[in-house]
Amino acid sequence: MTRKPLRDPRNLSSNKAEEAREQPAPQYTAQEAGRNMKPSVIIIGADKGGVGKTTIARAVLDYLANNNVITRAFDTENPRGTLHRFHPEETEIVDLTSTADQMKIIDTLETAQIKVSVIDVRAGGLSIALQALHDMGFLDAVKEGEFNFVVFHVLGSSISSLEEIEEIAPYVEDAQYFLVKNHVNDTTFFEWDPVTHRKYFEKVQTAGELTIPKLNEIAYEQVEIAGTPFSTFVADKTAEGDHAGHSFVLRGYVRTWQNKIAEEFDRVGLLGLVAPLAPRAPAVTPGRPGKAGRER
Amino acid sequence: MAGRNGNVFIVCSSSARAGVSTTARLLTDYRLFSRKPVVGFDTDPHEPRYGAFFPDLVTTVDVGDIKGQIALFDSLLARDGTTKIVDVWHRGFQRFFATVQDIGFVEEARRNGIEPILLFHADASEAALASAQSLNATWPELPMVVVHNEGARPLGPDAADILRRYPAKHKFVVSALPGPVANILDDPSLSLWRFLHAPPTNMSIVVRAALKSWIVPIFTQFKSFELRRDLEASDYLR
Repeated sequence: MTRKPLRDPRNLSSNKAEEAREQPAPQYTAQEAGRNMKPSVIIIGADKGGVGKTTIARAVLDYLANNNVITRAFDTENPRGTLHRFHPEETEIVDLTSTADQMKIIDTLETAQIKVSVIDVRAGGLSIALQALHDMGFLDAVKEGEFNFVVFHVLGSSISSLEEIEEIAPYVEDAQYFLVKNHVNDTTFFEWDPVTHRKYFEKVQTAGELTIPKLNEIAYEQVEIAGTPFSTFVADKTAEGDHAGHSFVLRGYVRTWQNKIAEEFDRVGLLGLVAPLAPRAPAVTPGRPGKAGRER
Repeated sequence: MAGRNGNVFIVCSSSARAGVSTTARLLTDYRLFSRKPVVGFDTDPHEPRYGAFFPDLVTTVDVGDIKGQIALFDSLLARDGTTKIVDVWHRGFQRFFATVQDIGFVEEARRNGIEPILLFHADASEAALASAQSLNATWPELPMVVVHNEGARPLGPDAADILRRYPAKHKFVVSALPGPVANILDDPSLSLWRFLHAPPTNMSIVVRAALKSWIVPIFTQFKSFELRRDLEASDYLR
C-alpha cells in the first residue's frame, strides 16, 4: 500500500471534510437523494473493548434517520449482535472474516437501494476488519472514488487506545477518519497528557475529533432496558410503536444528549460526507422525535 | 387559570430567606380556601419548611438526585387540571433550572397545556436581579411575577425602582407582620385557609384581626392574578 505524506497535525481537518461542512445542502426528496448518492460505508470500531462502539453506532443510525438518510447496518458481534437488538429492522449480523458476508456487504453497495451502510465492528476487530476491507480491494475502490468511506475510531482513556491509532493509520489514508472520545460512560481520558497526545496524533491524518457527551446513567440504563433506538425512547414508544410510558425526565436527558451529538456530527459535516443530497431535519424537540422515532 | 390542563407555580429566589416558602404556603392555602385542587413540592430535602405545613399535599424531593427529578417533573406534567406549586430551595436554585433546561420541561409543559409561571422573589442584591434576568433571557415567554416579601426582604424607599428593574409583568406584595403575630405563622398546625373560614376561638382577637388583615390582601392579589390570566386566555376577549 502506498503511503501518503502525513499532513500537518496542527490542521486536523481534511479538505473533503471542510468542503462538506461549507457546502449548503441542496433540497432533494429522500428518493431523489437515494438515486443520486455515491454509496457510503461508515465503520465504527476500536481494538479495545468497552469503549462504547455500539452506543456510537446507535447514535449514528439515529442521527442519519432523523436527517432522512435511510441506512442499512451490519453488526459484526457474531452471533449475538447488540446493535441488532436496538435496530433489528435495518441491522444484519455478519462475520466480516467470512467471504459470503463480505460479499453481502461490499458487492451490494452499488446495487442496494440504501446507499449508506453502517458497520459496527465487534470489540478488538477494527484492525482485522480494515485488513479484510483492504484484502478484498475495497480500500482501493475508495481511493478510486467509487465509495465514500468514513471511519469512527472510538478511543478509550488508556495509552493502548492511542497505540491503536498508529496501527490503523495505514488503512485510513483515503477515509474520512474521525477519532471519537466517548464520555457516555464517564471516561475522563486522564492518561492523555498533551505531549503523549501529540506524539500519537502526529502519526495519522484525521478528518477531526468527535466528543460524545456523558448521558445520565439511569437514562442510559432505561434505554438499554427498553431495547429501542434512542429516538424511539425519546418519542415514548415501544419497539412495536405503542405508548411506552417512559419518564419525561429520562426522555429529556436522552433528547438533550442526542441533540449535542447531532451538533458534533453537524460540526464535522457527516451528512455532507455520506449523503450530500439528503434533505436536512431540525434538531429533535420535546415530543417531536426524528423519523426513526416516528416510524417505530 | 390560563393553562388548560393546569398551572405550575415555580416559587423561587436565588437568595436565602427571601420568603419563598411563605409564598408557596400562602398560594397553597389560597387554592384550598377557594376549594380548588392543588399539590405542592418542596425541594429542600433537609428542612422542608413548606412541606411541614401540608404533610398530605406536599411531596419533598431532592432535585440533585434523578429519582427526585422524576418524582417532581413527571408529576408536574400530569394533565389533571391540578395546580402544582414548587418551592425551589435557594441552594438548589441553579440545579433546578439547569435540569428544567436539560430536559426541556418548559416546552413539554406547554405542549401538554400546562402553564409554568415563575414567582421570583426580589431583593436588593444585584445577584438576584441578574438571576431573574438570566431566567427571562432563557425563557422569554415564561410568565414571571416578581414577589416582594416586605417582612423577609424589605426593599426600603427604593422598592419601586428596584422592582421596576425586574423583567416581570406582574407583582405580588406580601406585607410584613408584626413580630408576635409573625411567630404564630411558624406553627405548622396553623392552617391559614381554615383560619379564614373559622378562626380558632382560643386565639387572641388582636392576633386574629392582624392575621386576617395580612392574609386577605394577599389572597386578593392571587385572585386578581387568576382572573387576569383567565381573561387573557379567553377567546371571547381577543
